[in-house]
Amino acid sequence: MSSVFTTMTPARLSRRGFLNTISALLMLASLTFFGHSVWIFAKAQLAQVLLERAFTQSILTGKPVRAWSWADTTPVARIKIERIGAEAIVLKGSSGEAMAFGPALVNETSRPGTRGTSVMAAHRDTHFSFLKNVKIGDLIEVTRDDGLVFNYHATNMRVVDWNKSGIDAHEAGFHLVLATCFPFDAITHGPQRYVVEAEMVK
Amino acid sequence: MNAITLHRSLNYKKTLYKLVIAMIATCMTAQAAFAGARLVTPNDMTAGSLLLKSSEAGKYIAAPAVASDYTVNISGPTSRTVVTQQFYNPSESWVEGVYVFPLPDNSAVDTLKIVSGTRVIVGEVKEKQEAKVIYEEAKNKGEAAALLEQDRPNMFTNSLANIGPHEKILVQIEYQQTIAQSSGTYDLRLPLVVAPRYNPAPIVQTVDFGASKNGLATTKNEAPQPPVLNPAEVAPTNPVSITVNLDAGFALGEVKSAYHKVDIVEKGANVRVVTLSGVVPADKDFDLTWTAAGTAPQAGLFKETVNGHDYMLGFVTPPVVATNNTAHPREITFVIDNSGSMEGTSMPQAKDSLLYGLAQLTPADRFNVIRFDDTMDNLFGSAVQADADHIAQAKSFVTGLKANGGTEMLAPMKAALVDASPNDKTYLRQIVFITDGAIGNEQELFDAIAKGRGRTRVFMVGIGSAPNSYLMTRAAELGRGTFTQIGEGTQVTSKMKDLFGKIGNPVITDVHAQIFGSTAKITPEQLPDLYRGEPVMLMADSGSLSGVLKITGMIGDQPWEVKLPLADAAQGKGISKLWARRKIAELEVASTLGQITQAEADKVVLKTALDHQIVSSLTSLVAVDHSPKRPAGYVLTRADVPLNLPSGWVWESVFGNDSPSQNVLHTDQKAEAEFLQLAKFDPAKSPAPATQVNLPQGATDAELMAIMGFILAMLAMALQFFARRKAVLA
Repeated sequence: MSSVFTTMTPARLSRRGFLNTISALLMLASLTFFGHSVWIFAKAQLAQVLLERAFTQSILTGKPVRAWSWADTTPVARIKIERIGAEAIVLKGSSGEAMAFGPALVNETSRPGTRGTSVMAAHRDTHFSFLKNVKIGDLIEVTRDDGLVFNYHATNMRVVDWNKSGIDAHEAGFHLVLATCFPFDAITHGPQRYVVEAEMVK
Repeated sequence: MNAITLHRSLNYKKTLYKLVIAMIATCMTAQAAFAGARLVTPNDMTAGSLLLKSSEAGKYIAAPAVASDYTVNISGPTSRTVVTQQFYNPSESWVEGVYVFPLPDNSAVDTLKIVSGTRVIVGEVKEKQEAKVIYEEAKNKGEAAALLEQDRPNMFTNSLANIGPHEKILVQIEYQQTIAQSSGTYDLRLPLVVAPRYNPAPIVQTVDFGASKNGLATTKNEAPQPPVLNPAEVAPTNPVSITVNLDAGFALGEVKSAYHKVDIVEKGANVRVVTLSGVVPADKDFDLTWTAAGTAPQAGLFKETVNGHDYMLGFVTPPVVATNNTAHPREITFVIDNSGSMEGTSMPQAKDSLLYGLAQLTPADRFNVIRFDDTMDNLFGSAVQADADHIAQAKSFVTGLKANGGTEMLAPMKAALVDASPNDKTYLRQIVFITDGAIGNEQELFDAIAKGRGRTRVFMVGIGSAPNSYLMTRAAELGRGTFTQIGEGTQVTSKMKDLFGKIGNPVITDVHAQIFGSTAKITPEQLPDLYRGEPVMLMADSGSLSGVLKITGMIGDQPWEVKLPLADAAQGKGISKLWARRKIAELEVASTLGQITQAEADKVVLKTALDHQIVSSLTSLVAVDHSPKRPAGYVLTRADVPLNLPSGWVWESVFGNDSPSQNVLHTDQKAEAEFLQLAKFDPAKSPAPATQVNLPQGATDAELMAIMGFILAMLAMALQFFARRKAVLA
């Protein structure tokens, strides 16, 4: 019996070749996924550097400046939480595109510093990975693209469904909401969001 | 290996395969979800920083914007274009978006669709008034509705009712057109913006009411004038993307875009895919030209049968025969437009063109120069000998011209048409009319040419980034001349050279076409004279087309004749629509020339347009989505989509220094935010819609991707291990 298997039959050879091919394909797919993953993080990081530059320009010139010529959005604010060393440039419009590059000021919500609620959203694994560290009472400093600075302090945190946020963009008073996906360590997308609510400091 | 191990290994394998398939499926789903999420790319070029005055005094509304995509499929001598317009309403109110946009002047528009979510609502061609009524009813009921109306053959208005706050709605328009060809160059021109037009102040009625002609009806409707953005204050809006699938039908030589950067991909000898490099604002014409690698076809016949009726498109390029154009001295009247719309890049181009023309004159010729804005100067009063003195005088006059003021085109055209000696056969009488055609009273100009043309031929030279091609083409047709388009300073010499090559004598006169073997009607009935390099273009219709098409003419003193067997005609889609469009143009020309009355023309125009389901001066396309949209109690506000100022134009010269931005109020963002806030709390206003904020997706796929990558890598290694182990086992 053993003599039968000392030499490999062509059938066996091709079966092995098949397994090797599958294995190589899987490896290739694996690299693609890794590459994609790295790309998402790299893009998020690089964009913030360019955005920081564009934002400074915006403040100096008083006009919206695109961070790169084909950017479909412009920086509108900088948020900073001194205690945890967090900082990010916020973009206009909450398209998937904008959020790949930075936190986004959700459409239809107030401009920071104006009456109503400004809602800023970002991905929990890139720009808003720090959100889980924010505590009640933390000072959130928002610099607008016209150079004006507004201070908010965090008053509340809660978990909500994306379409039942209860956030009113036109609520009386001056509010800021930072939102990201919840739970923080989930792998797939879910309906839940983690929101940090803040009030303007007079 | 015994039976048990074999069995186990098979089981192993099955499990393994299952696992692999499951993994791949999971990955693909994740990939699809990722792609889906990325597809949502709202057009952020619409900055929403524009406010329009609304009908209510002191109230403003954020201006809607339109992003357009043009997909042009060229197949030989015809093309079909799909225009997708995405209306975006950046305001908090329900809005009726009104977008004025241009299309080629020979386009047969036959399709209008509203794409609402997954539903597609297809529009119908109706008589203009009826379409308007259907639209207004739907509008008042709060339903989404689109109405496409023709203002001019090259200018359309698309109204879209009931766009919700921050909503985007897609409207698709399709049209058929013939491709222009001259001297072996094929030309697709896609106008992208309607230039602001000058509508002259009402002139004193000079029409003799005794005459039966009531052609004035068409002069009453002024061209609509949407708000125009001042480029100094606002970033360009209304982004455009273009894809041209060019199948020339012959091996292609050079393919070139005159004014836009494009990417050209070769797909075989006859085919190119041309795409605009990136997205551009709609502020100038797109112009694509191509030539044949070898000799371009000299003739073509295409046929379509619709409802048992045959329609045909045919063209023949006559042979080039050397003619002696200088034998006849010429009398050329140059007319140059120095109105405000010419300021910027247009004026130098116009001047250079005229100076080129002056340089072509010989002492045997006679000439005159007329300039106009809302005033005019007739340099010599009438034609003078083209001697050195006069030429020098004219040069200095032209060089000193400055662009300013309105565009009163009628008086200079009339002055140029005045012929002191109509029976003089020594001189060929010609007018070279240099303008951007930014006027709204086209018909008055056409009437003037039709009435006063006599022996004079009118050559139109269109200047600038967005000239009024309808005015140019029709004026040249009525004046039996040609239309030359100059879009950039660098084109002046080549284009003017081409024009002066043509301008001598028409190469071929007395062109007649006839079909032997079946009763068919040729459109147009009277074929125009041909200039150098121009083909005979004609259409025909018959119950059943067969037999031979015979075209005759005179090349100089020599008779010319060509015969085309109709049996050889290739099938061509949309030929019937092109026939209908040409028929309508012919009827309009005939009515302008007084050969038929306006009423007679209208009757046939309406029938033709309805039979062939195309938009015309008397028919519109209307589409209604009957599912209710706007809740009762919410007010609908009309908002014109503001247009870009054509590229190269100067704002102040058109609108003056006192009007910073017509009825567009550009506010800084601060004021705008404040305004919007105020508007919200205005108790007089209808209750603001429930404004709960929906939170966007807050995680990337990075981690998922990484984990997928990891699992796949492990799987790959497991497989390797498995394969090796088996080898070792063996």
